[in-house]
Amino acid sequence: MDDALIISGHKIDNRFFLGTGKFASYKLMQEAIISSGARVVTVALRRVDTQSAHDNILKYIPKECIIMANTSGARNADEAIRIARIARAAGCGDWIKIEVIPDNKYLLPDNAQTILATEVLAKEGFIVMPYVNPDLADARRLSDAGAASIMPLGAPIGTNKGVCMRELIKILIQEISLPIIVDAGIGRPSHAAEAMELGASAVLVNTAVATAEDPVLIAQAFSLAVKAGRIAYRAGVVLPKAQAEPSSPLTGFLR
Amino acid sequence: MKARINGEDLDFASSVSIAEFIIQRKLPPETVVVEYNGAILTRDKWEAARLKENDVLEVLSFVGGG
Repeated sequence: MDDALIISGHKIDNRFFLGTGKFASYKLMQEAIISSGARVVTVALRRVDTQSAHDNILKYIPKECIIMANTSGARNADEAIRIARIARAAGCGDWIKIEVIPDNKYLLPDNAQTILATEVLAKEGFIVMPYVNPDLADARRLSDAGAASIMPLGAPIGTNKGVCMRELIKILIQEISLPIIVDAGIGRPSHAAEAMELGASAVLVNTAVATAEDPVLIAQAFSLAVKAGRIAYRAGVVLPKAQAEPSSPLTGFLR
Repeated sequence: MKARINGEDLDFASSVSIAEFIIQRKLPPETVVVEYNGAILTRDKWEAARLKENDVLEVLSFVGGG
């Protein structure tokens, strides 16, 4: 059975999305993309250092990947909209991860501003992927505003704590018809598998890959964990029971 | 002449076009995007646009990010 993820009509063959920040080199990042088979990768937009040599990250990203710029650095909707328009003008395409973060301590997103930016950018033809706190009412507002998916955080960015927001993410998965993509906080492949077993449509990881001892190898492990979690979700994961239950028959002993 | 480039005031001996500025700084034109006084300036307009006193120029490119 074809189980491809479809976002805004685009078929995506790998449910593991990779962020490109914090890698020791672009070459290493490229190898991690290849080893994981990721088809959606995020990038950020920054001022060019006009005093020193300049390398182009885009040439390290395989051609088959969708490049999704993020609006990191934006503290409100207007800044996110401005960054999104610049990213598109720079030839990055229509995919945009809206990230509005007014808070430097916890790096938690501002849902209200994210909704405002989504409304504007969706009308301009962007494929809008908002990074948000998992809140059902806000997810409905984003859905109405034209978001292409909802990307709730598993835990604060870069914390590697896993799917701490599990119960709230589960509600989004049950109630929202858009793909739910768990973004941020995923620290290990088992966390990624957990998110997928819950029914997430995809998982986005950056820090846990880029800062691992062997980013190329762990990227592969994440990708496999996402696949396993997805298959488990489709198969139907059994529920825990209070009492023991034998796996082998209790009748017909030799004695 | 003074213009603000990426948040820094730079002095220019004479007026330069955006295209000349990009070349002078050895920036690969195909990988940078320019915002000129708050509006995106597409590459085909770099030649005609000349830096003037108090202009604000943002020269941006993609970097790694999550």
